[in-house]
Amino acid sequence: MTALKLLSRTKLYWGLIAIFLIGVLGSPVSSKGNNIFLSYGNLLDVLRQVSTTGLIATGMTAVIITGGIDLSVGSLMAICSVVCAMLLTVPGVTPGVVLGVPTVALVALCLGFVVTRFIFLNLEKSRAGPDAAARDVRLDNIRGLVTPAIVGVVLCCLSLWYLLPQIEPKFGVLGVLLVAPCVGLLFGAINGFIIVAGRLQPFIVTLAMMVTALGIARLTAGQNNAVLPVYTGSNATADFELLRSLVFGVIPMPGLFFLGAILIYGAVLRFTPFGRYVYAIGGNEEAARLSGIAAGRVKIATYAVSGLLAGIAAVLYVAQYRQGKPDAGAGLELDAIAAVVIGGTSLMGGRGSLIGTFCGVLIFGLLSNILQLHNINSNLQLVLKGMIIIGTVLVQERNAGDLLAYLRLPGGQAARKETAASKRPSQETPSLNLGGNKK
Amino acid sequence: MKRRDMLKLAAVGAALLTTTALLTSGAYAQTKKWKIGFSQVTTIEPWRAQFNKDIIAEAAKHPEVELIITDGEDKTEKQVADVENLIRQEVDALLVSPKESAGLTGVVQQAIDAKIPVFVLDRNVDTKDYTQFVGGDNKLIGRAAGEYAVELLGGKGKAAGNVVEIWGGMGTQPAHDRHDGFHEFTDKESGIKYLLDQQSGDWKQDQAYNLMANALKTNEKIDLVYGHNDPMAYGAYLAAKDVGREKDIKFIGIDGLPNEGVQMVNKGELTATFTYVTPGAEGLRQAIKFLNGEKVEKTITLPTEKITKENAAKVLKDNGL
Repeated sequence: MTALKLLSRTKLYWGLIAIFLIGVLGSPVSSKGNNIFLSYGNLLDVLRQVSTTGLIATGMTAVIITGGIDLSVGSLMAICSVVCAMLLTVPGVTPGVVLGVPTVALVALCLGFVVTRFIFLNLEKSRAGPDAAARDVRLDNIRGLVTPAIVGVVLCCLSLWYLLPQIEPKFGVLGVLLVAPCVGLLFGAINGFIIVAGRLQPFIVTLAMMVTALGIARLTAGQNNAVLPVYTGSNATADFELLRSLVFGVIPMPGLFFLGAILIYGAVLRFTPFGRYVYAIGGNEEAARLSGIAAGRVKIATYAVSGLLAGIAAVLYVAQYRQGKPDAGAGLELDAIAAVVIGGTSLMGGRGSLIGTFCGVLIFGLLSNILQLHNINSNLQLVLKGMIIIGTVLVQERNAGDLLAYLRLPGGQAARKETAASKRPSQETPSLNLGGNKK
Repeated sequence: MKRRDMLKLAAVGAALLTTTALLTSGAYAQTKKWKIGFSQVTTIEPWRAQFNKDIIAEAAKHPEVELIITDGEDKTEKQVADVENLIRQEVDALLVSPKESAGLTGVVQQAIDAKIPVFVLDRNVDTKDYTQFVGGDNKLIGRAAGEYAVELLGGKGKAAGNVVEIWGGMGTQPAHDRHDGFHEFTDKESGIKYLLDQQSGDWKQDQAYNLMANALKTNEKIDLVYGHNDPMAYGAYLAAKDVGREKDIKFIGIDGLPNEGVQMVNKGELTATFTYVTPGAEGLRQAIKFLNGEKVEKTITLPTEKITKENAAKVLKDNGL
């Protein structure tokens, strides 16, 4: 029994392994007798192809765990890709500079202020001891306002000092790696702010942002430059080539970014108070708020990170496809949501993990690769992908039995009783769960 | 419960085995001499559909060729993945019709580096190491359209009238080339006035309809509409028809697909269309020629043909319509 339970709990990994095995066993063989699917080059292709979607899905996971959704990521990626390509290839003051540089300054100012204040606040809390209620901890003006402001202004000046000299020639790799994510972060934070402060549905707010951001991306690109080509070495700095190369000839750079994002954000969600708050808010936002969690700030942070990751994905996109354009991330938000849901994260919030998302992204990527290696009709591929999403989610949510019972098929009734009995405890996440499970 | 779980496991196992078996049986069925991969941008656009039809028809004439067609779903990312995939499948020759030059250049270079001869069709890439480029010349077609427009509006030196030009996508080279070629002729005529300032219908009939509907409201006299493709010219025609002004206006389109533009010309809806032949058949012929060890030219430009009421019926007949 326990073995079966273990099997059922780890089914996602088994699914991944099964897909991999199908790929290996069914792979066409090249003329030299090599297994094409298993060839290192092909597996690297897969990792590289999924890394953009993967980065987006990473940010999306936390947003979905809080019970929200972020539909704007594709368009945010479009803006960032346009800004990135423009900074890299066009010298002088361009719409990209006008949008990008003040954004970095603003983000530096705000981050400096917030982080410094946060540090002071926590120092004060630890001095006050564990018994003091959060509301009693107050900072005086010097530590609460003046010092954070000074730190913010200093950071702001530093960023300007770094960026302004890069405007006249063109921006370098590090320059765009700073600007594009900051632009994404700002737009993501605006999303979060409107959702929290305006008390609106995330769906409608991010939908509006998706349209707005697409418009801004097109305006930034200008009507005659729908595509901004980036040719490293001829019109952009040659270092940019690094972002599409293999690191030490082993792993593609975009894949490294994806893995890094999964590991770092995964650790944050799993081991920090912030991560526990994210789960708590998704479980029951009201309860979380009442137990003293600053739910609004946590939510804003998840949307901001989602935007930030979209910005990073955009830079990698520009490197990989040698262009920035306003339709860069079109439809990507849906791929990302599908991967997150396949990975076992519940759209109702409160449940899910980044490891699951990682598996979901890989399952999707391997599947596309296998179907393509077998030259299956691309329209049929879409049908198959849709069916696999539904199938996986049914298994993930343990609702396959319910479906059978509904259709009065054999095996259904027993399954229904059993899932009804086993469902409640099974919904508990293996991760730390605070402030109430979903009822 | 135990039994049900066992059943489940068995079912999953069986499914696994069948899929594998199915996939494997497909994998070893390759006995043909040449495996040629063709990466298409999209298949849900009439011109692209004709493109695929042409290349498939040509492939049917060559039993020694196995043709693999992939569909990029109109996304750069998907098309790049498709080409990467074809490279992994070690095709003998690669035909690509890129979505955009910049986005596909990297992966085309990768194919060239893998010693696969690459034939670029319709839209070029920014490298010169490919084996051959086959495509129409949009400037040439634009010129033909411009020359004919001048003729329709009164002839060289005395042409006059108000012209509406409906652009294709603003960021695409074909739209700019079709514009430039057209204006090489019409700009010499001082009597010709242009009514819209770079309005794009994005190659689509419905958007062109809306553009034209607005233009008709604000302009009492329109003499000629030049659409960068047939569907847009047709959309403009429909807009004019809905306000009863289609008889006063001449409509010129581009592409001349048998079942699209040529039909419209034959019915008298469009005045003329200029064929933009798909490079499907020619591209595949050239690739096979190259694989058989013959020399091929670096660039092949496909000619254009003017289709008016006079020859439309014949063209339709030749295409079995």
